[in-house]
Amino acid sequence: MNHELRCYREDAQAWLAEHAPRYSGQARHGLSFDDDLALARAWQAHKVEHGYGCITLPREYGGAGESELKKVIFCEEEMHYDLPLVYFGISLNNPLPIFLRYAPQAWKQKLGPATVRGELIWCQLFSEPSAGSDLASLRLKAVPTEGGWLLSGQKVWTSWAQIADWGVVVARTDASLPKHAGLTYFFLDMRSKGITVQPIRRLGEEKDLNEVFFDEVFVADEQRLGEVNGGFKVAVETLMIERYAVTDESGYGPTLENFIDLASKARLNGSPALADGEVRARIAETYVERQGLRAIHRRALEAFARGQEPGPEGAIRKLLLGRTRQNLAAMALDLLGANGAQLAAHGHSVNDFARAWLDPSLRIAGGTDELLLNTLAERVLGLPQDHRPDKGVPFNALAK
Amino acid sequence: MNFQLNEEQSMLQASVRRFMEANCAFDKRSQVIDRGSFDAAHWQQLADLGLLGLTVPEEFGGMNCSAVEAALVMEECGRVLCVEPYWAIAVLAAQTLAATADPKAGPLLQALCLGEALPVLAHEEVNARGNMASVHTRATAIDDGRWRLNGEKSAVVAGNVADLLIVSGRTSANSDDEHGISLFLVDPNAPGVERRDVRLIDNRWACHLYLKDVEVSDKDLLGSVGHGFAALRHGVEHATLALCAEAIGVMERALWITRDYLKIRKQFGQLLGDFQSLQHRMSEMLIELELSRATLHYALSSLEHSPAQRSRALSVAKAHIGKSGHFVCGQAIQLHGGIGVTEEYVIGHYFKRMTMINGAMGSSMHHFEQLAARERSIGVSV
Repeated sequence: MNHELRCYREDAQAWLAEHAPRYSGQARHGLSFDDDLALARAWQAHKVEHGYGCITLPREYGGAGESELKKVIFCEEEMHYDLPLVYFGISLNNPLPIFLRYAPQAWKQKLGPATVRGELIWCQLFSEPSAGSDLASLRLKAVPTEGGWLLSGQKVWTSWAQIADWGVVVARTDASLPKHAGLTYFFLDMRSKGITVQPIRRLGEEKDLNEVFFDEVFVADEQRLGEVNGGFKVAVETLMIERYAVTDESGYGPTLENFIDLASKARLNGSPALADGEVRARIAETYVERQGLRAIHRRALEAFARGQEPGPEGAIRKLLLGRTRQNLAAMALDLLGANGAQLAAHGHSVNDFARAWLDPSLRIAGGTDELLLNTLAERVLGLPQDHRPDKGVPFNALAK
Repeated sequence: MNFQLNEEQSMLQASVRRFMEANCAFDKRSQVIDRGSFDAAHWQQLADLGLLGLTVPEEFGGMNCSAVEAALVMEECGRVLCVEPYWAIAVLAAQTLAATADPKAGPLLQALCLGEALPVLAHEEVNARGNMASVHTRATAIDDGRWRLNGEKSAVVAGNVADLLIVSGRTSANSDDEHGISLFLVDPNAPGVERRDVRLIDNRWACHLYLKDVEVSDKDLLGSVGHGFAALRHGVEHATLALCAEAIGVMERALWITRDYLKIRKQFGQLLGDFQSLQHRMSEMLIELELSRATLHYALSSLEHSPAQRSRALSVAKAHIGKSGHFVCGQAIQLHGGIGVTEEYVIGHYFKRMTMINGAMGSSMHHFEQLAARERSIGVSV
C-alpha cells in the first residue's frame, strides 16, 4: 500500500478517534429508534462536512470525489466504532450513485446534496415474493399513461422503506419479451399516492425490512433511469456499484473477542470453559479463518490499487462469515446456559449472541449461500451454467 | 426393540394428533401466547383425554402408561409447536412428584391429573447447564423442622401459571453434590418469593424466581431431608426423553414443510426441487432425522436398564438430537430463503423451538462431554 494511502488511513484514524465517540457506543445506549436515527443523520452530516461522507461521489453533490480504495479504507476504520450506519447502508451505496449517474440534471441538484447529507433516505425496491435470487422474474408492472407510468404490484424485503423518502424501483414494462428484456428502472417519491409500506417481523426482532404495495402509483417519465426495457442492466449496475463491499469481519455478529470474553467467564461441568477442548478448538479455528480472510482482503485491496477488478474474494468472505457467525453463536448459547434463552433488551445481532444465532439472514440476503456457490462454480471454476428453461422465452409465456 | 406401535398406541397417537391440530395449530397460537401460553379450556380437555395423567400410576388417578406413550404425545406437541405447558407439568413435575413417593405427592398428582393443580418444578439455576446436581439455592435450618430458602431459579418453564412450586434447595454438602438436596413445596405467593415472568424465544412462558428468606417447614418437605436427588433425576430423565421425542416431531414437520416448499417454489424457470444440490441437502436432513429417531428409540428401550446404561443412552439421544435438530431446522430456513426469517411464517419457529430444546436439560455439548467423561473413567466398550 502506497504512502498516500497510509497517510489517508492515519488521518482517518485520528479523525475518528476525535469525533466518533460522540456518535457511538455509550452515546447510543438506550436510544429510541427515532433518536438513534437522528444521531445517524447528524453523524452523516458531520462526515460530509469533513470530507468523509460519500467519499467516491462527485464534489458538486457534497461527496469527496475520492477513489474507491479510500472509501474502503475509511469504512474499515469506521467499523471499529459502534456507529449508527445501518439506516444509510443501502441509501448512499446503491440508489444514490445510480441516481446521480442516470437522472436529469435538475433532479440531481434537487435531491443529491440532501441525500448525501443524510437528510433524505432512499430505499431499493427490487425483490418480490416471486423474485428473490431470480430478480429478473419480477412482476410489478408499469403501464404507460399520460406523461408517465402507473405502477402496480408488490415488493418485499425492502430495507428501511418505512423511513425512506425516495426509492428506486424495477418494474415490468413489456411482458411479451424474455424476462430480463422487459424491465424498466425508475426513481420515485415514497410519499406518492398508492404506496403502502408494511413492516416485516423478523426472528431476531430487527425493524428494518418491509413489504411495499403499489396500487397504480404514478411515476413521471422523467423519473425513468435508463432506457425503456433497459432496466435490468441498470439494476445489475446498481448491485455492482460496490465492486468490493467492506463487511464487518464478524459477519455483523459478536466478535471472536466477545466470544473469548464470554468463555472466560463461563464454566462447563465444573471447570472453566476455556479449559474445554471443543471451546479451544472453536476459538482457534475462528482465529485461523479470520487471519486467512484478512489476507484475502489485503490481496483484494492490492488488486484494487493496481486498477484490477476484484475476483471471488467477496463471495468467499460472505460464505465463510455467515457460517462462522452461526457456529460461534451456537456455542455461545451453550455457554450462556439458561441466560441464552432470551433476547437481551436493546440487543442487536452485533452484541447479542442469541440474535446472531436466531437470524441467519446473512446467509440469505444479498445473495444466498447457494447463489454464491453457483457464482464460484460458474465464474471461477468455469463449470457450465445451470439449466435455465426460461432462457429466451417471453415472460408471459412462462408457466407461473 | 419392537418398533411397531400397538393398537392402543396408534389410537393414542391419532387422538392426540386430532386434538393438537384442532386446538394448537400455528395460526391459533398467538392468542394463547398473549395469555401466558396457557389455555384453561385446552388444559381441561387434556385432563378429560387422560393425557395429563398419562404416565401417573393408577392409584393417583393416572393411566399408568410407559415413556413410549409419553413420547408419542410429545412428538405430536413438537409437530404443531404446542406452547402450552404439557411438558413442564404433565411430564417433569408429575414424574418428579411420583418419584418422591411422599404421601403429600398422591393428592397433588390426583389434582394434577384432573387439571385442578398446576405444580411446577423450579430446579434449574443459571449456571447448571445440564448438571442436575448443581443447586446453589440454600435451605438453611432455622430450628427443628424449619428452613429458610435463599437463591434464584432461572427460566422456570410454566412458572408463570404455577399454583405450587417444587423447589430444590441445598440442606447440606457442596453446591454440585448429589447428596444434600431437598425438595420443598412452595406457594408462589408466599412472603419472600418474587416471580418475574418472561416470554422465551420459542414463545413459551417461564419465570425467573428469586427466593429471599422464604420460610418452609417439614410439612412442605417432599421425601426426606437431603435425599431429593433421586426423584429429581427420575423427573429429569423422563423430561429429557420427552424433549427428545418432541424434537423428532419438530424436525419431522420442518423437513416436510420444506420438502413441500421445494415442490412449489420456482426460481430461474424451475422448481427449487429440480436443483440437485437442494435435493441432496434434503436427503442429508432426512438422514439426520432418521438417526435422531433411532437414538430416541435406543433411549426409550434403555429406560429399564441400569442407571449407567440409561444415562448413557439418554446422553447419546440428547447429544445427537440437539446437533441434528440445529442442522435440520437451520437448513429448513436456508432452503426457504427470505420467508424463512420472518416471524409470520412457521418455519423459523421450528428453528427457535429446536434451539430451546437443545438448551434444556443439558445441551449437545454437555451430553457429548458426559459421554466422553464416562469413556475416560471406565473405558466402556460401545
